[in-house]
Amino acid sequence: MDLRLPNSIERVLLDEATIQQRVQQMADIISTDYAGLRNEEFLLVGVLKGSFIFMADLARRLTVPHRVDFIALSSYEDSATVSGSVRLIMDTRTDVAGRHVLIVEDIVDTGYTLQYLYRIFGARQPASLRTAVLLSKPEQRKVEVPVDYLGFQIPDVWVVGYGLDFADRFRTLPYIAVLKPEVYS
Amino acid sequence: MSLLDDVEKVLISEAEIQERIANLAAEMNALYSDADRPVLICILKGAFMFLADLTRHLTFRHELDFMEISSYGRGTTSTGAVRILLDLATDVQGRNVIIVEDIVDTGNTLTYILRNFAARKPASVRVATLLSKPSRRQIEVPVDFIGFEVPDEFVIGYGLDFAEQYRNLPFIGVLKPEVYQRS
Repeated sequence: MDLRLPNSIERVLLDEATIQQRVQQMADIISTDYAGLRNEEFLLVGVLKGSFIFMADLARRLTVPHRVDFIALSSYEDSATVSGSVRLIMDTRTDVAGRHVLIVEDIVDTGYTLQYLYRIFGARQPASLRTAVLLSKPEQRKVEVPVDYLGFQIPDVWVVGYGLDFADRFRTLPYIAVLKPEVYS
Repeated sequence: MSLLDDVEKVLISEAEIQERIANLAAEMNALYSDADRPVLICILKGAFMFLADLTRHLTFRHELDFMEISSYGRGTTSTGAVRILLDLATDVQGRNVIIVEDIVDTGNTLTYILRNFAARKPASVRVATLLSKPSRRQIEVPVDFIGFEVPDEFVIGYGLDFAEQYRNLPFIGVLKPEVYQRS
């Protein structure tokens, strides 16, 4: 079915069905954990650009009412050499104080970005603060950060698709694939 | 689930949306090539679900960018003037642009956005919208890809909200009048 497997792709790491099944499981667990809340009490915060596909699929499978908001970050360095210097370029439109906040991220590698998000959202007195992350690369971790809902642990390879890009390419592949090393080296 | 209690009827089912989006993507795939490398601009928040499903069908090389806008005051004003809360990260000068919207009703907001884009001198601009309400149109505005034309009803779901609710419904529904009348 990979009619459009681009030349730069080495192999498919997680196919569409595997991702969809896992996102459904995560949505079921989250719906149970947050059951009983009203729409205005539960806020999903998606981190642009990478998490928009995960957000779209997760949100529509939740059976608990919630709001959706987005933030945009920019790192000072090229994303290939994340050093922890992250900047918020668009904040949430919703005041998070008193709400149960669930940060929705595509991937945690070094942990710096998530640490930054915990710091800024934690300071705003949310009722609770948790994270739903599709992918984790534990081998890349530089700082300990808690992840409450995790999709998949993956090896330390360059992955693209389902929101993740390489130089703004391959972001919208419906699966997660490993990029050929010659493309980024 | 309480959200469903507020839905009067399903206007467009999940399957119908998915099938139509695959067709829209096929139209785009026929029109654009890798060399065109268009930038799809998602107008937040409403269009994020449409964008997520549409782009997964695209076979040509493309990039994404996001723009979050907020209208002044309540609802759509006659000028369509909006505040840009998040501007593009991309310089679109000389680029092929596809603006991705959830709904076009009066056309005022889209006209304003198109004017804003024209000033950035893109090579081309096309507009894709999931829904269009032609009976509400106050100004002629070009729309190149339309998912569905819908009657003048209060539609919600699949990105469209009422007071930040119902955005995550996987279908397009009509909201019960008592829900929006009581606010």
